[in-house]
Amino acid sequence: MNAPVPTEAWIILSAALFALGAVGVLTRRSAIMVFLSVELMLNAANLALVAFAQQWATAGVAVAMSGQTAVFVVLAIAAAEVAVGLGILVAIFRYRVSTDVDVLSEVRL
Amino acid sequence: MLVFSVLALVMLIGALGVVLLPDPVHAALSLVGTLLTLAIAYVILNAPFLAAIQVIVYAGAIMVLFLFVIMLLNLGGETPSPTQPWIRPTAWAVAGLTIAAVAVTLTQNPGPALDAAAIAAVFQGSGVEQVADQLFGPFLLSFHLVGVLLLTGIIAAVGLVQQRATETAKVRAAAGQAGRTQPEPPPMPNLTEEAS
Repeated sequence: MNAPVPTEAWIILSAALFALGAVGVLTRRSAIMVFLSVELMLNAANLALVAFAQQWATAGVAVAMSGQTAVFVVLAIAAAEVAVGLGILVAIFRYRVSTDVDVLSEVRL
Repeated sequence: MLVFSVLALVMLIGALGVVLLPDPVHAALSLVGTLLTLAIAYVILNAPFLAAIQVIVYAGAIMVLFLFVIMLLNLGGETPSPTQPWIRPTAWAVAGLTIAAVAVTLTQNPGPALDAAAIAAVFQGSGVEQVADQLFGPFLLSFHLVGVLLLTGIIAAVGLVQQRATETAKVRAAAGQAGRTQPEPPPMPNLTEEAS
């Protein structure tokens, strides 16, 4: 069997995905594209969790598997967030006929 | 390591597509590609159960919801923000600096090497049983809170839809009395006319 890929490589990849997602959140104008970028950031965090779970295999089954279980919880939260977020987005679109986040500034103080 | 390099390349191209492609449908499909390569990464990282969940829930359910809303709203391409032109180069610069910082830090200070024997001993089978042990053990509170969160999400979604239905009826009634007061969404293609 091949030697496992070092955890550092996975974490660098995860950081790159997270940074790209953050760029998307900051530069995209359509709210739905901001949501897509947030999904990218969530997945980058998941990748880091799974990589760390493998790194901690020497600490035993319980510690190693708690990393994977955390990913499970994040997945469920992402699903709930998408359902509510897209519902709000459709509701906004009914009134504004736009999902441009530069235009949506009603809740600004 | 070769597999990892190819995987990372495809993953990053997909992520760049999400950030750069102007058409929302293209960007969403590009994210699907990234999510599928992430599932392969989970298999390499000894998490086959999470890989299956990733494909079914993320690449399946969540992305279908996204594509459904994008096509329902008939979103087109977007133009760069004219109000804050400095945001784009700043965001890219900060992202590049972050990646470089993480890469330099991790290559300069590598952690303990992976123990292949320990990995093989811990990650056996599909991992469903071990994940369930954790989920209904130390993660029991998180599990319950996620359940509450999902219930709240369902109620919020229903509430949003109901509110919209009553207000749309009001808007329609007003439009019938005093002409069009509300800007209309882009006209949908008339299917019956196209068919004939």
